[in-house]
Amino acid sequence: MKIIGFLLNRLGHGVLIMLGVVVAIFFLFNVLPGDPVALLAGQRSDLATREAISTELGLDKPLPEQLLFYLNDISPISVHAAAAANQEKYEYTPLLSFGQNVLVLKTPYLRRSFQSNKKVTAILLDHLTGTLWLAGAAMLLATVLGISFGIIAALKPHSWLDHLLISTSVLGISVPSFVAAILIAITFGFYWSHVTGLSLTGQLYEIDAFTGKHLVLRNLILPAFALGIRPLAVITQLTRSSMIEVLSQDYMRTARAKGLPSYRVVVGHGLKNALNPVITAVSGWLASLMAGAFFIEYIFNWKGIGAVTIHAVENLDFPVVMGATLFIAFLFVLINILVDVLYALIDPRVKL
Amino acid sequence: MSAPLLRVNQLQTHFQSHRGLTKAVDNVSFTINQQETVAIVGESGSGKSVTSLSLMQLIPQPPGIIAGGEAIFQSRHFGEVDLLKLSSKQLQKIRGNEISMIFQEPMSSLNPVYTCGSQVAEVLIWHQKLSKAEAKERTLALFEQVKLPRPEKIFRAYPHEISGGQKQRVMIAMAMACGPSILIADEPTTALDVTVQAHILDLLNDLRVRSNTSILFITHDLGVVAEIADKIIVMYRGRIVEQGSVWDIFSNPQHPYTKALLACRPKLSMGIKYLPTVSDFMEVDSSGYIIPKVVSVSKEESGSQLDSAYINNQDKPLLLVNNLKVHFPVRKGIFARSTEYIKAVDGVSFEVYPNETIGLVGESGCGKTTLGRALLRLVQPTAGSIYFNNINIAGLSTEALRKSRKNFQMVFQDPYASLNPMQTIGEAIMEPMQVHQVLKTEKERRDKVYQLLDTVNLLPEHFHRYPHEFSGGQRQRISIARALALEPKCIICDESVSALDVSVQAQVLNLLNKLKAEFGITYIFITHDLAVARFMADRIFVMNAGKIVESGPAHEVYTNPQNAYTRTLLAAIPKGELENIKEAQARREALMIQYSA
Repeated sequence: MKIIGFLLNRLGHGVLIMLGVVVAIFFLFNVLPGDPVALLAGQRSDLATREAISTELGLDKPLPEQLLFYLNDISPISVHAAAAANQEKYEYTPLLSFGQNVLVLKTPYLRRSFQSNKKVTAILLDHLTGTLWLAGAAMLLATVLGISFGIIAALKPHSWLDHLLISTSVLGISVPSFVAAILIAITFGFYWSHVTGLSLTGQLYEIDAFTGKHLVLRNLILPAFALGIRPLAVITQLTRSSMIEVLSQDYMRTARAKGLPSYRVVVGHGLKNALNPVITAVSGWLASLMAGAFFIEYIFNWKGIGAVTIHAVENLDFPVVMGATLFIAFLFVLINILVDVLYALIDPRVKL
Repeated sequence: MSAPLLRVNQLQTHFQSHRGLTKAVDNVSFTINQQETVAIVGESGSGKSVTSLSLMQLIPQPPGIIAGGEAIFQSRHFGEVDLLKLSSKQLQKIRGNEISMIFQEPMSSLNPVYTCGSQVAEVLIWHQKLSKAEAKERTLALFEQVKLPRPEKIFRAYPHEISGGQKQRVMIAMAMACGPSILIADEPTTALDVTVQAHILDLLNDLRVRSNTSILFITHDLGVVAEIADKIIVMYRGRIVEQGSVWDIFSNPQHPYTKALLACRPKLSMGIKYLPTVSDFMEVDSSGYIIPKVVSVSKEESGSQLDSAYINNQDKPLLLVNNLKVHFPVRKGIFARSTEYIKAVDGVSFEVYPNETIGLVGESGCGKTTLGRALLRLVQPTAGSIYFNNINIAGLSTEALRKSRKNFQMVFQDPYASLNPMQTIGEAIMEPMQVHQVLKTEKERRDKVYQLLDTVNLLPEHFHRYPHEFSGGQRQRISIARALALEPKCIICDESVSALDVSVQAQVLNLLNKLKAEFGITYIFITHDLAVARFMADRIFVMNAGKIVESGPAHEVYTNPQNAYTRTLLAAIPKGELENIKEAQARREALMIQYSA
């Protein structure tokens, strides 16, 4: 019961945060130079077409009104004019009708791309799978290896193994991800590709002429590794320092004095206590990796949110960039709520 | 009698650090027989804890090394074994099963992320291969045995949800789970209130007879030893200086250090002016040899009775507190409105006269510390007035309050946490003078610091040193010097000596008394230790649940307590007198007869 109240409370906060983000983004993109009408109209630059586009996008209205329209489009519950033009925009379930207008329930409408005229929601969802696989694989790698390395280093602090792990992780943190990605790509995907059997670029799904679309996990290895290096290094260091502190606690001595074997002392009694700072790091990284690992996706030509966003920025495709930004903010809010719940599950002293 | 249960022979444990080799335990030999309670007594750094941890191979290695010796233990599993030469597999069978431990800090010795029940059950599941359900049943029975209220509830509770005394009972239940031959208790009651301590000691006595367990009891408190031990081992700087039966040691101590330890703890029974310290009994030369001193001056002085409390009611009170309340809101609900209050201080009125010492005593959570802080307005009082020098501190503006603190200083409990590690002690002492513009030039202030250092028996060259270079007792003297820098009229000492060893405590208490005589300072001495309060105070206030339940001249409160709570408190203190030893022995014999029948 307590947890439901907590979730409602945090979701309420989340809505407020999203509102703030929407407003900020909206004004930010209105300040930016570049005329969407010109972009949309392209070569057909007669005044009538331009005005028609301007009216359709609502760009002829004052800014506050435009903001209201934008909010109305994004909100899952919105007021909808029952005009035919609007019905093409999105599918909805009517809830209540009053006069000309209906109150509707819909998926947030992020408008359409200037470039392709596809719905932004569709574009993002289309690329989400790639990003989810990539971010998930990278974080899995980073978490499992990072926590193991951290524990190994913490058990024998200042041993050669500890020094090796820590200096390697310092290297992992210091090297920018695009440098690491390029190095990894050309080393394992090009020079040694006859040994590794991996290629420089590749997609999660490949289309075969005979069997059709199928999953190729092999293509995930290099980008996930390149993406996972920095979180891996950070998690290793955090686990190490957190674990060293926990190992010196009185309850660890109690656990040993009970006669438990050392793996149960370290993993059973130590790790659960050492995890909280690690979770913070993992969640932060997970959220930002989900948001699209721009460089990695670019270098490995991986079809994901990051690549789409970069492409959209290059072409001043505002709806896509705004949509992607909002989507990323939404992910951050969601993951942070989950992490708070996770804290409480792991550490009973944390009150929701 | 058959072979002793445990025979420790020439145990040596060393610690290797960058400063060289420390012999933490140096040639220690003793024996523990069946159903015997052996107490190791010593001050911090004497090697008493390291001795016990070495036996269980629980010292961190490195930097620790068990350099030599043997510990022959009659094991149920392996027969006669040397504990120091066991493989880690064998050790796991001994630890928690045949020899178990309880530790000083019940707060931190239990794992915070598991329920109390699962931590005890874990031992049973591991050592006795019980199923989860069987282990739970046994755990509940153990909780019953250690007299925990509502065992089912405690089983499901996390450590932070129960009190310190209850946690220590959970620890004892955990230690007793497999019916160990030896229970090592490392300062098990030091962190607990006296009334709780009395219950835990009773429980240990009871369990020892009932489960046929020997106890190795490690403590710095001789009063506790008199209640529980059969045999005493006195340790000093890693060596055993004296061992013998509890009666012999108390009635006829041979070694000067033992004599000093017995003499320097404040006792309830008599009021004295000056506490003897270890240095009155012996000297240690550079090579570590102990040279006994002929005790002369100090003995005379220590015999003299304190003059009956000096209170001149004609004086105007220095401090007049009227119906002071400090309530802390408990926040609940989505809108975080405070619906309930914790009444930490709940309507307290008293007055303090110039040049007297008030002892404010009570158990943890009674509100004594909050009261002390409220007097200085370090916490905001909810209601009431505090007249200090006829100015109501409770109603002052921030600026005026800051100025008023010149006359009203505080010495805190933890000498390790109350000095800024980035400041030299000279700067630390000088800072209040700079803030309050005492003296005109830096040079004068500097001279004043040297003078203060001398007053608290520190050296001028200490001026440029940092706090980590000093011992606990020295740091507390630095804190006192800092409080004295403003020449305050009144100093609040909040548990200022409770983190210190008895001999160091004696030095600090003597110093405080000397300063009182010299500068005419008024003290409000907040402590949980009734013996210390008895030694220091002219008048005693006993606090319970936010209220002062009894107040009066010190000797009257102690000899003729009026309030039921005060009587419980006084009864629970281990006195450490010879008749207490006799009583304790009689009680133990009665228990043995009871259980053998």
